[in-house]
Amino acid sequence: MQNVLSILFCLSLFYITVTSNVRAYISVLRFQGILLVILMILPFIPDLSIFALILPLTMLIVKVILVPQYMTKIMNDLNMKRDIESTIQQFNFLLLVCFSMAIIFLVSNYLSKSTDIAVIPFATGFSAVTVGIYIIIFRKKLLVHVAGFLVLENGIFLFGLAVASEFPVIIELGSLLDIFAVVFLMGIAINKISSTIFTNDRRIQRRDP
Amino acid sequence: MTLLLILAILPVVTALICLILKSWKVQYALTLSSSLIHLAVSFGIFIGYFTPGTTFMFGFDALSKLFLLVLSNTYFWIVLVSYSYIKLPVESDSTSGKKYYFMLMNFYLVANTAAVLSNHFGMYWVAVEMTTLSVAPLVYYSRSEESLVAMWKYLFIVSVGIAFAFIGILFLALSAKGTILDGEQLYFAEYMKNAATLSPIWLKASFIFIFVGLSTKIGIAPMHSGDIDATSSAPSPIAALFSGTLRITALLGVLRMFQIIRPTGSFEFAKGLLIIGGLFSIFVAFIYMFRVTDYKKMVAYSSVEHLGIIALGIGTGGIAFIGALYHIVFNSMTKVGLFLCAGKIHLKYNSRNVSDIFSVLNRLPWTGWIFFISFFAVSGIPPFGFFFSEIRIFEGVFFSDRPYLLIIAMIFLLFIFINMGHTVFKMLYKRGKNEKVSIESEKFDIFHFASISILIVMVLIAVFNPAVLADNITSIANDFGILP
Repeated sequence: MQNVLSILFCLSLFYITVTSNVRAYISVLRFQGILLVILMILPFIPDLSIFALILPLTMLIVKVILVPQYMTKIMNDLNMKRDIESTIQQFNFLLLVCFSMAIIFLVSNYLSKSTDIAVIPFATGFSAVTVGIYIIIFRKKLLVHVAGFLVLENGIFLFGLAVASEFPVIIELGSLLDIFAVVFLMGIAINKISSTIFTNDRRIQRRDP
Repeated sequence: MTLLLILAILPVVTALICLILKSWKVQYALTLSSSLIHLAVSFGIFIGYFTPGTTFMFGFDALSKLFLLVLSNTYFWIVLVSYSYIKLPVESDSTSGKKYYFMLMNFYLVANTAAVLSNHFGMYWVAVEMTTLSVAPLVYYSRSEESLVAMWKYLFIVSVGIAFAFIGILFLALSAKGTILDGEQLYFAEYMKNAATLSPIWLKASFIFIFVGLSTKIGIAPMHSGDIDATSSAPSPIAALFSGTLRITALLGVLRMFQIIRPTGSFEFAKGLLIIGGLFSIFVAFIYMFRVTDYKKMVAYSSVEHLGIIALGIGTGGIAFIGALYHIVFNSMTKVGLFLCAGKIHLKYNSRNVSDIFSVLNRLPWTGWIFFISFFAVSGIPPFGFFFSEIRIFEGVFFSDRPYLLIIAMIFLLFIFINMGHTVFKMLYKRGKNEKVSIESEKFDIFHFASISILIVMVLIAVFNPAVLADNITSIANDFGILP
């Protein structure tokens, strides 16, 4: 089951690679959030307790409901265009992602021979970290950068589940990265940054009130 | 326990009071008192007057005692000048920046103290995240567009770096699979004790991720760009805090990993990585110094250079490791004067562009001379601290199995000195267009007092090398199993 959910997560990474719509990014983040919540609950199903549900429920509220909703609200409030403002052609981006993922899966498979790790969730998590970094590098829009950071964070979460599922404290710590995402979103909202702040003349493009 | 409460709870309470109070004067008085108590307690712990125990995820060893004192000392001097700083007229929309200044400073102290005293990787990581969140709004103090860009860039790059460090911690947990540490808490001491049983490949991966991730905060090249922009755009007291304390707190995480990796076969790999990072940082500063346009950025690059020297010393080991620890102490002190003077020059000329700065010695005599002396201090001229620490580091590199690294480093450092000196002398002595030769008077203020005092303290420490400091550094070297 963990492998099936990880493969679905992997497919969501391919979708985020080829889409050029910001709203699709938000939907993918929702989808990935749901997958992570299920993955978190799975190991505890035999003896489900209220304590085991605290983190998945928090994640459900934050990752699936609040953050995507806040992103949508920012898009609407700032009348943001849907285009992700890429600096690289979509096909080249897809090639880069495919190549990176292939290497990650091969290396993970090799490493699994010496250490007991679940290859598919491990490699998928690492792929998500890589895709998140690529999104931050190859997209201009700040909101998309935040989406990239969230994809990276989801990757770390999945990766954490693969390597330290018996040690939930460390996975719980990872959820603190959400604070950064919220700070970024608040920064975009407060400063009304509809596109990017990193332009050639280093001035900020703000939407007129 | 009581000491921990004083070190951590006192700044929290002060921060909360600062949030409620409107008077900057009262906020300043409270923050200064809190910083003074923090310094007194840190000093008491350092000299052995207090003997604190281990509580929850916090503890004291020789390394944390030294870093705590470095933090407390730098923080105290920065707080001392802060009231005068916030009274200065800056850009129009900075009132809200001033409003939260002292509150954020107190939170910064709590976060840094927690990071320095933590003996658990998870706690350290959370505290480092807190330091970023508390210091980033201080970069945006002036509410200018440039400071917004700098804050955003810093926050984004560092948050990705912190995410990388988290992956490193996960790898560390993975390296313990199948050992007695499997599924246990991530205490530094436990990992050090059982380091030989850890999986070498995951330990190496862990070191890479923690080093690369924290380099965004340490300012080790090539991860230094966010840190440079934030340091040069931040108010000068905050820039001094960045250089003197924040980078060091991040370096502590790398040192903890270095301590774990020491008894393993991956030690040479970690040493190599630190040496490469250190040399590359010096190289980046060397390149920048050929085309200096912004003098605050020049000082920020000087921090990259010195953190590079520290990384080189740690990576080399032996006497160079001891030199690197002294360099950490002197770096935190030297940068205070340098950044405070840069801030005064910025205020007078309203520009960070080197080409707009002229006759500083005539127009700002106190600031000019202190800037001049600080330049000598940062260049490692005797009797300033860097001279003594760099001698140790260079000696260590010369007698290591890679003596050729010394030649490379020396060439870079020589050109950094020449080019930085050229810029500093131009700022101090160059005449402006149609400028009449006249020496303006400058009031001796708290910035000058703090800069001079800290330089004097540094020279005294460097020349007399107090036994308590020497013993502490020897004790750290013993803990690391690195002896000259």
